[in-house]
Order: sequence, then structure tokens, then C-alpha cells
Amino acid sequence: MTSAIDRRHVLRLGGALSMLGAGAPFALQLAAAGQAAGQAAPDYKALVCVFLFGGNDGHNTVLATDPDTWGRYTTARNAGQDPIALMPPGAAPVAVGQVSPVTGRTVAALNQPEAWGGVLPITPLTAQPIPPGTNAASRTFALHPFMGALTPLFQARRLAVVANVGSLVAPITKAQYLARTVPTPASLFSHNDQQSIWQASAAEGAQTGWGGRMGDLLATQNGASSLFTAVSTAGNAVFLSGQSVIQYQLSTAAQPAAVISGAQGASLFGSTAAPAQVRELIQETGQLNLAADYAGVTTRSLSATTTVNTAFSQAVVTGVAAPPAYTNPITGAVETNTLALQLQTVARMVAAGPSLGLRRQVFFVSLGGWDTHDFQNTSQPNLLNKVAHALAYFDTALSNIGGVDRRAEVTAFTASDFSRGFATNGDGTDHAWGNHHFVLGGAVRGGDIYGQYPTLGVDAGGFNNPDMTNGALIPTTSVDQYAATLGAWFGVAPAALAAIFPRLGNFARPNLGFV
Amino acid sequence: MRRVGRAWLGICLAMALAGCSARPDGGAPAAPASPADAARFLTQATFGPTDASIAAVRSGSYADWIDQQIAMPLQAESHLAFMERRLPELRAANPGAQLTANEFYGSFWNQAVGAPDQLRQRMKLALSEIFVVSLADPNVDERGAASYYDMLGANAFGNFRTLLEQVSLHPTMGVYLTWLANQKEDGVRHPDENYAREVMQLMTIGLYQLNPDGTRRLDANGQAIPTYGSDDISGLAKVFTGYSWYAANPTNTVTFFGRGLAPEAQVRSMIAYPIYHSTSAKTFLGTTIPANPTPNPAGDLRVALDTLFNHPNTGPFISRQLIQRLVTSNPSPAYVARVAAVFANNGAGVRGDMAMVVKAILLDAEARNAPAASDVTYGKLREPVVRMTNWARAFGAMSTSGNWTINSTSANTSLNQSALTSPSVFNFWRPGYSPPNTRMGAAGLVAPEFQVVDEVTVAGYLNTIQTAIDSGAGRDVRATYPAETEMAVDPRALADRVNLLLMSGQMSPRLRDRITTTVGAVAIPANGTAAQIATARLNRVKLAVFMTMASPEYLAQR
Repeated sequence: MTSAIDRRHVLRLGGALSMLGAGAPFALQLAAAGQAAGQAAPDYKALVCVFLFGGNDGHNTVLATDPDTWGRYTTARNAGQDPIALMPPGAAPVAVGQVSPVTGRTVAALNQPEAWGGVLPITPLTAQPIPPGTNAASRTFALHPFMGALTPLFQARRLAVVANVGSLVAPITKAQYLARTVPTPASLFSHNDQQSIWQASAAEGAQTGWGGRMGDLLATQNGASSLFTAVSTAGNAVFLSGQSVIQYQLSTAAQPAAVISGAQGASLFGSTAAPAQVRELIQETGQLNLAADYAGVTTRSLSATTTVNTAFSQAVVTGVAAPPAYTNPITGAVETNTLALQLQTVARMVAAGPSLGLRRQVFFVSLGGWDTHDFQNTSQPNLLNKVAHALAYFDTALSNIGGVDRRAEVTAFTASDFSRGFATNGDGTDHAWGNHHFVLGGAVRGGDIYGQYPTLGVDAGGFNNPDMTNGALIPTTSVDQYAATLGAWFGVAPAALAAIFPRLGNFARPNLGFV
Repeated sequence: MRRVGRAWLGICLAMALAGCSARPDGGAPAAPASPADAARFLTQATFGPTDASIAAVRSGSYADWIDQQIAMPLQAESHLAFMERRLPELRAANPGAQLTANEFYGSFWNQAVGAPDQLRQRMKLALSEIFVVSLADPNVDERGAASYYDMLGANAFGNFRTLLEQVSLHPTMGVYLTWLANQKEDGVRHPDENYAREVMQLMTIGLYQLNPDGTRRLDANGQAIPTYGSDDISGLAKVFTGYSWYAANPTNTVTFFGRGLAPEAQVRSMIAYPIYHSTSAKTFLGTTIPANPTPNPAGDLRVALDTLFNHPNTGPFISRQLIQRLVTSNPSPAYVARVAAVFANNGAGVRGDMAMVVKAILLDAEARNAPAASDVTYGKLREPVVRMTNWARAFGAMSTSGNWTINSTSANTSLNQSALTSPSVFNFWRPGYSPPNTRMGAAGLVAPEFQVVDEVTVAGYLNTIQTAIDSGAGRDVRATYPAETEMAVDPRALADRVNLLLMSGQMSPRLRDRITTTVGAVAIPANGTAAQIATARLNRVKLAVFMTMASPEYLAQR
């Protein structure tokens, strides 16, 4: 661990101790310190990848609010026919038909930032260094106005922010990027390739992802339930594919393993003999590759149906509360928050875990729609609100699994193709690179911002932003560092992490310490 | 490569240039030798073989049939007209009714299953998976989507350059890839780059430089060579500015921003609003449009689309994907090269003749010769919606309501696919998707349609097709199986018929035995009532059809 992490840890421990009060006996303080350090190894751990497909605009998700940065932010984004600049901290929401004292514009509809009120301040435990080019005595931060459900989690230190994470081969400066003297990942700014690089360290076509690779190492701990080592609620994701681990798909239904009625029913078209025949024939591999590969998925489906649906009928699973109703903040319409439903299924799987003998699981859930080239003011607030709603629900659900708080056993983290350009294109933003992400869980050293929050602002008038090229953040933390930190918590040994992430050695800190 | 054993394939270039209408110099049969051959051809070229279409193909050569299909007029009732007919019908029942995606799906199934211009229908679906717009985007208008699908059909056998232009200017594409009302740069604000990026990556040239056979060119270090960089994107993005909604009397302050529009705006090509078009120099792909004091949106667009159309990647890039949609997931480079050569020159000096491209795809020896049993990687996984049309066409299923109200089949507990409704512009599946932990993946081969195959969707398909076979798709599109119930007393005859219509006669003896035995075990009561006998016969038919369509060997189209 680095000294910075140690300092955070001590701060956190100090907080725990101070809650006991100055008068607590020294022995009790020592006992509390032992607990706070979390020495008892939990027998279950889950990593949950929350993938935001399309590339979330991180610049409107986690914001720096020091006056210098805010000024450049406003210059870049309070422009175009539909400005996407958020309002400063403390700004009151402006009703439709009223004039905003901040922008002087009349609010025409709820899809205008003036209507949402100011960004929501968060105060990291550790002061962020002031990066070059930023003229501020200290840096202050905030979240999007519709991420209010996350601020209590940040304050409760179960939520951390990791700043300016992106796909990298090696550390790179702006000068090196422009001179092409340090290699960069293939196909930067391309959705499908960057999705793949985030999940699997290689462009589209990759066959294994780091969730699956970690699963390979830990699946034996799951014994007879190793089929459920890597679980998706969002379709196929290379993230979950290992050398031997194969992802398993759950639906979000109460009985999440789909039943094949023609093979698993009592009779079929008047024949009681037919289902057994169908059950056999749909698993016939034969000689043809495509047929064999399809039959392989069917076999996995059939083999798990009863196990999963029986496990999910236990009281500890059915007792996992459903997500609260979700309302679109822009339209006022009640919508289904599919991300919350997926996380409900994950929470149920966590609840079912002990009965299945599961000890290590990797999950993949997702929410699409983040490619906000236009109408960003209509779509992104709703999406961010869904993320906040879903993560807060997940935190609550895990706090009471059959009466047990299991939040320390589950770490969820966000991932996305890339962030978006700093300057508006008129009513949206285009593809970019480094992004800010969230990590949630009881084991997370939350309430803090990890990594270097960058200098913001487009190059203009002699200002040369060392952290941005053409509006894209040049990442200062690599996806590999972010992932390896999660992997270390998950129980993957350093040598194995180095094998899963061959480029990890290019970076000074293989563990960022946020969990 | 896998298919080099077919040495004669290389000869087909000249044949392809000649349109393959004559003798199979490349080794491809010119006409079907059997009903099974015709059915196999129709599996690639249509939404599924029928008795009538098998007879039609057998009445002449494959090329004759293709020529007849290409000559067929568009459907009298377009998709747009179907929807506009449905709206007043819906409102008669519910005055507040609005069109939804379901009306488009109705029109899709109606034409895909019933329209005689089957090659055009199948091409429409294929093109819609390359030039993707999606009803999953709430900003996409349902009439606009129907009109877009009509446009793909109208251009299916035209020139690629025209197709590219009509795709680019269609307001549904303008909305979906957000270049409608895109404005020229101004201060810190830059034009929206979305369409510039995706038209290159997905619709014309792709990410990497290609050889004429569709394989990647490599540099001295063995690395693939990108076709474009960020500067090309920002240069091309400036071209795609200053177009917005059609209006009879366009204004820069109202109609450009989508206000005061007539309904036709959703279905007519976007128009230029020159004051919003960039006048600065635009450099992309080695082409530079100099700065111009007067905005020239149409001229700039022409240069950009010409550049994309004439790029050496475009022929192999598009040819390979169309082969994947119709014939096989892993065409040999030689097959791609033969088709791409036709794209480059139809034999009369014309580039981009899509009628000749599709003809070259379907008449190629690699499409027409049945694969050897030892060639275990040939073919493609059948698309979920095509499995449904395959059933409906084979057994003459009809819409009870006349409106084909199957509705959305997008859920993972359904088909996990509805036409024109992919999750993103990257389609339901990527042409390069290689499923992990599979034989195909281990062989380094792609299987695009596997991207939507998982433990839930395999069950979703089986349950959905079982219901369709039994009681109809969407409780509306139903088959009565008159011919099949006639032959149900003879399970072997029944199996043979299902084998022809659904599997082009390729059913394995093992599957056929299983079907005949299981079906034969469904007793037809000798002394039963007429109704009991009819039910038993119908059960036999349904069982034979379901067992076939459930089999992995059916799903692997060869």
C-alpha cells in the first residue's frame, strides 16, 4: 500500500474510533480497531460490473466546482441551441416559465438544466491535489443534480469515485499522445472496441474478459455450483468469459432460469413421451460446429433450471425487496428501471448463494442509451437518475438479506465505453476517452475520490490543458489498475493479476486502494 | 484457409462478372437438381421455402428466378401505407390510439411472410442490419421507420451510391444517428460527429484497410492499418451539417429545429439549410473540400459520399456482410473477392450495382454447392425472426385478423429480435462476433448470430416457436397444416416433407428416426371420432414441426 492509502485508512479508522468516544477503554478501542480492519475473511464475495453502454458523459456526472474549473466548464457547455451546462451548487430549481438567475434564460421545459437545480456537493475525505493549469486554492466536487440518491452513500463511505479512468497501454502524457511515442489501445473512440477493451483488455473479437479470468481462478471454490461463477442479466458479455468459465444468463423474472416447456413439461402435443425426446434432441451436438455450440448453451440452460429456480424460491431470496417505483425526472412518467431489476436479480443470487455453496461470483448488469450525441438534456438526467436509484436500492437490499447485512461481501463498479467530449456539439457530446466511475460496497473505502481529478477546459487563448486532447480526457488511471484493485479485493493473488492484466506492470500502482 | 479444397472457386471471377447466368464454369450448378436443392437456395434467398417457390425455382435456372424477383414491382401497399391504414382502424376502437412499433412489426411480418418479391424482402432485412436504425430509440418515429424500411427495399437492387445517399438523407437516420439539424462549428462548439463516425465504421469502409478479398491489410509489423483517425472524423463531421427536416416552406428558425412540420417531414429526405452548413475546409480520407465562401451542402455531401462509395474497402466490406446475412458466417476470402469484384464492376463498367452483387452472392459456387459433410464450419445460425417466417411460409400460416399482430418479439424470453429494433447501431450482432468457449470460437471463426444466444434466449425461442406451431404467433398468425395432416398417418412421409421445407433435405438420419418414432407413437385412434382422429393427426404434425425446429441441426443453416 502507498502512504496515501495508509493515510485514508487511518482516517477511516480514526472516524470509527472517535464514534466510540474519548472515554472508551483502550482495550475496547483496540478491539474496535481489529473489527474495523476487517480481519475476518468473509466466505462470500461478489463483483458486479454495471456497464453503461454507449459512453456516459462523465463531465456531467462528477464535476469539479472550484471557480476556475467551473468557468471553463461553463464556457465549453453553456453554448449551442440546447446548452448542457449544469447549474452551480446551491442554484435553486427554476420553474417552467421562470427566468434563471444563473443563465438569464427562461425555462421552457423540464429538459433544461436550469430546471434541475444546482449540482450536489460531495466532499472527499482526502483533498485532491490541484493539477497543473488549474488556478484554485482547493478543489471542490459535486454530482449531477439527479444523483442525489448517491450522496448519502458517499457520506456513509460505501461509495467511492475513481477519476479519469480509461483504456491505456502505458502511462501517457499529452505530448506523448500527440507525438505518438507511447502506444495507445486500438480503436479509441469506437464503441464496440472500447466496450471490449474495458471488459477484456482487447478490441472486439476478444475471447476472454477479466471477470471470467478471475472466475477461472476462483471457480473451484464454488464446488458443484461453479456454473454460476459468472452470471449475466444483460446478455452475452465478453467480460464474463474465462478460459474455462462460461457465463450463465439469468432473466429478471421471479423464476430467473427460463424453463423449456417442450422439454421440461409433462407432455407435448398429446405425447407424454415427447418431452424426453425433445430434451435429448435439443442437446444433440452432432458433427456441425454451429449446431454443437448451440446445443452446448441449451444443455447449460437445461442443467440449471431446477437448481436455480428452487434456490430462488427460498424465503431468504423471495424476501429480497423489489426496487421502489421509478419516475423519470424529465417527463414525470413512471418507468421501469431495468438496471434496478437486474440488481434485484443479483441481490437474489447473493441471497441464494449460501444454499448453493457459492463463494465467489462475478456479475454483469447493464443499462444502454448513453450515446448522447443529441438530446442529452432529455436522456442523460434520466439515465443518471436510474443509476443512482438502482445503486441506492442495491445498497439497501444487500443491507438486509434474511436479516444479515451483506454489503461488505459485494462490490459493484461502473464501466462504460468511454466518456464524452468536454465541449458541446449543440445539444450533446461526442466520443472521448477518460471517465469518472463509481465503486459501491461495504468493503469500499468510500467517501473519497481516487486517482487524479483532471484539469478541465479546452485549449484556447494560450491555455493548453495537459489532461485533454481535442476535448477528450487523457486517462491518468488505467482500466487495468481499476480492475486489478477490484481483483485484489476479490482474492486474486498479485501474480495472477499480473497474468490477467499483462500491462499492469506498466503502471506504478497496481492497487489504487479504494476497496 | 478452410475452403481452399475447392480449387475451382477461383475461376468464378469471370463467371461472376458475367452475372453467372450461363453455365457453371466455376463449378456451381445453374439450376436445382432436386426440390431439396431449390429449398436450400430459397433458404438463403427468401424468408423460407414453400411448395410454390420450390416449383418456381425448379421451372428454370437459379439466375432466371433471381431475374424474375429483381423485376418484380414493389408491394402495392408499402410499409408506410400499411401503418397509415392501421391508424384509423386503431382509432375506431380507441380514439386516442397512436401508432406504435407493433404496427411496423405487423407490416414486416405481412410482407416477409406473404409478399411474392421474396428476394427483395430478404435483402431489406439484411440491409437493415447494416444500415441500422432502431425502433428501440424513443426518438425514432414509427412512420419514419416504416418509410426507412420501404426505402431500403426500393434500393435493394439499385446502386449502392444511391442507397447510401438515401440512407444518409432519410430523416429516420438523421434522427437515429443525430445528424439531423447538425450545425456548423461555432466557437468552442463543434459539429456532432456521430454520423461521420458510424457511416464509415459500420456502413461503408470499416475500421481497418482491407484487401479486395475482405482480409485485413497489414503493415510491416504485421499490424492492421486503420482506415481513419480522429481528424478524418472531425473533417467529415463538418460535411454532415446544415440538413434538417423537409418542409414545403423551410425556415432557419422554425422548421430547421423541428417545429411547424407536416407529417411528410418524417418520411421525406432531409433538405439543406445552408446557413447551418460548415464553410470551412473539410479534410477526410485523403480528400479535401476547400473552404468555400458560400455554403454548399449538396456539393460537399456529394464529395463525401463519392469518397466513401469509391473507397477500396467498401466493396469487400459490404459484400462480406451480405454473404454473412444470406449464406455463411465465414465466407472464404476468394468468395468475398468474387462478390467484391462484381461490386467494383458489374461487367458493364458500373460500380455498386446491388442487383448484380446479390446475384453474385447467391450464384457463387460457395453458396450453391452443398457443403461436404466434413466441412463442419460452413453455414450460419438462422436468425430468430427468420425461423419464424420459415415456419409461417412453409405451412401457409395466415393472420387471423389480417393485421399480423405478432407484436414485439424483442424480449429475451421471446425471439430476442424484432426487425428494425436492434439495441444499438451495432445491430443485434456484430459481423466479427466469435462466441467464447465454443468450437467456432476455438477455430478462430465468427458466428455473429450467437451474440444473442444464451441460456435464457434458447428457451425463449423454443417456447415461442412451440406456441406459434401450436396456436399461432401472437395468437394471430396461425397454420392449419392441411397438406401435412393428410400425410400424418405416415410419419416417414411427414418427416420427409418437414425435412424438405425446413431443412432442405439435410436432416440427419438420427433426427429423422427420432421424429418418426416419436410421432408414430402418437396414436391415431382407430375407432375414434372424426374429431379425435383429426386432433391426433394434427398433434403428429405439430410434433414433427417442433422437433425439427428445435433441433440444433435445423438452427445451423447450411
